[in-house]
Amino acid sequence: MQCTVTSIQSLAAGFFHLSLTPEKPLGPITPGQFVMIRCGESTDPLLRRPMSVADFEADGSRLGLLVQIAGRGTGTISRLDKGDQLDLIGPFGQGYSVPPEARTIVIVAGGTGVAPFMTLTPTLVSQGKDVHVLLGARTKELLLMEEWFLHAGASLHVATDDGSKGFDGLVTALMMERLDHMEEPPDMALACGPAGMMRAVAALAEHNNIPCQVSLENSMACGFGACLGCVAHVRGEKRYVTVCRKGPVFDSREVLI
Amino acid sequence: MDLNVDFAGIKLKNPLVGASGTFGYGLTYEKFFDLSLIGGFCTKGLSMKPREGNPTPRICETPSGMLNAIGLQNVGYEKFATKKMPKLRKISTAVIANFFGETMEEYIELAAKLDALEGIHGLEMNISCPNVEKGGAAFGTDIRVTEAVVKGCRAVVKNKPLIVKLSPNVADIAEFARACEGSGADGLSVINTLVGMAIDIKNRKPILANVTGGLSGPAIRPVAVRMVWQCYKAVKIPIFGIGGVASAKDVVEFIMAGASAVQVGTMNFVSPDIIPQLAEELPELLVRLGAASVSELVGVAHGG
Ligand SMILES: Cc1cc2nc3c(=O)[nH]c(=O)nc-3n(C[C@H](O)[C@H](O)[C@H](O)COP(=O)(O)OP(=O)(O)OC[C@H]3O[C@@H](n4cnc5c(N)ncnc54)[C@H](O)[C@@H]3O)c2cc1C
Ligand SMILES: Cc1cc2nc3c(=O)[nH]c(=O)nc-3n(C[C@H](O)[C@H](O)[C@H](O)COP(=O)(O)O)c2cc1C
Ligand code: FES
Repeated sequence: MQCTVTSIQSLAAGFFHLSLTPEKPLGPITPGQFVMIRCGESTDPLLRRPMSVADFEADGSRLGLLVQIAGRGTGTISRLDKGDQLDLIGPFGQGYSVPPEARTIVIVAGGTGVAPFMTLTPTLVSQGKDVHVLLGARTKELLLMEEWFLHAGASLHVATDDGSKGFDGLVTALMMERLDHMEEPPDMALACGPAGMMRAVAALAEHNNIPCQVSLENSMACGFGACLGCVAHVRGEKRYVTVCRKGPVFDSREVLI
Repeated sequence: MDLNVDFAGIKLKNPLVGASGTFGYGLTYEKFFDLSLIGGFCTKGLSMKPREGNPTPRICETPSGMLNAIGLQNVGYEKFATKKMPKLRKISTAVIANFFGETMEEYIELAAKLDALEGIHGLEMNISCPNVEKGGAAFGTDIRVTEAVVKGCRAVVKNKPLIVKLSPNVADIAEFARACEGSGADGLSVINTLVGMAIDIKNRKPILANVTGGLSGPAIRPVAVRMVWQCYKAVKIPIFGIGGVASAKDVVEFIMAGASAVQVGTMNFVSPDIIPQLAEELPELLVRLGAASVSELVGVAHGG
């Protein structure tokens, strides 16, 4: 599907936000779902790159991506201009699913891991839930979308590895501190970010008996279940599941992160 | 424009077939296009029992290609026959069952079952599988083993065309093509992936958990075209050209080298509707080249 770039905005060194209008609406999107984007017309780089859908219109008539320049593909995308075309397919996969009875939600995001929560946070707040967003980054300059979450009606806490803003340390340490502060444990934890961070969040959630959902970022060749390249190991079993189709969002107890 | 091809008795409405391991069991692609628009597809390689496949990472991108070490993960014969076939029988496209075994017996047992399975139009033997009885060397890289396994399957495949998919990881592919023809194969698929590897220089170790993987995609096309050319010279049976097909021009290149039809693999991942797209573009290109059908171009690069 061809999309028109309607805006491209640098957020911090190496991070940008891309706003896209597809030629036809993509249809309903769930936060945590992703699209596969083509980085140029050549066969090198060959494969599409998976990107979480960040902000979007309910019918998929507009979508935003939050991109970190990680290599050649994302580098090419970062040089697009307003009015340029971008080829993507999707949305694919299973997003986050928060049961109606969950009242208190803790969201933990690192780096571009904030993307799936941009639309989810205001939605959960509008459902009357008590939402705590914990954002982590190396430095204050790399904290993404802080303003957005401030306006989303959630209680926001930030952590920086160098202590330049908010909590001085890892976002998982901040999570531990927040859990101590809360009168009752939250009903659910949602995490997205580097694998190490998600592993720590999942361990902490499990230790406190909090159901936790994580979004895996395995390498993908197709994104729609055809190559079997993206699989994750099912915990406690000798079996794999496709991350692109059964995930990328999983219950943390289900898979090895 | 006549795009119909009779491939060893398999009726294809166009010469464009989805390659094994890149096309699931066909149904994965139904959300992208109507499967009746394509010539057919080869299933993910089937074994008697389900296989879980290799540990991860299983894939790695390379210049204009990719390495994969999926480890032949598949649902196994029973589940394929009972869960996938009922849906596939309703689709008007050729379904070619790709299969493999870890032993000679498994190959033969599975070949007999697939020969009897209603709705399968042809069998494609993947002989690139490691032979557990022979210390893991592939069936398709030792000419005597290749002959024995093809003869064994031929003896039990009585109703359907039997195609052998050759491994390119041999010194002289023409010798293997002749051996397969001599052992009763009805057609050849040329080529499977080339063994390759890539190293993560930061972590100082191979990227794939399996260490080596199969190289596919546009990067291998010249090798595949050369091998189709060599096989065409060596045998009379029809050949599927496989390796990096990405455009209508590539389809014609394989056909001129001697392929009767082509299979599209890795490019399905990049453009899931590439096969129907090629089916649409091919007639125009054939007209420009002054051809009235696909069949009249088969092997023309070899001269008169
Ligand atoms: C479901 C899902 C959702 C995602 N969502 C987002 C998102 O919202 N935003 C976002 O920015 N990213 C997201 N990602 C990650 C994103 O897909 C990757 O960052 C992207 O594919 C990188 O592509 P590239 O071509 O820029 O980098 P590549 O060139 O592919 O390299 C990526 C990284 O791998 C390293 N690398 C590559 N090859 C080697 C090698 N041989 N040895 C060692 N290291 C190597 C590079 O140094 C680089 O750090 C998501 C991934 C998944 C699976
Ligand atoms: C992810 C992947 C899985 C594959 N699995 C199989 C398989 O199960 N059986 C088989 O015979 N070939 C398998 N192949 C090989 C392809 O069918 C094809 O021969 C090869 O990829 C070259 O074609 P391409 O360059 O168009 O991909 C696989 C290829 C890929 C990329
Ligand atoms: S990326 Fe191909 S199956 Fe998941």
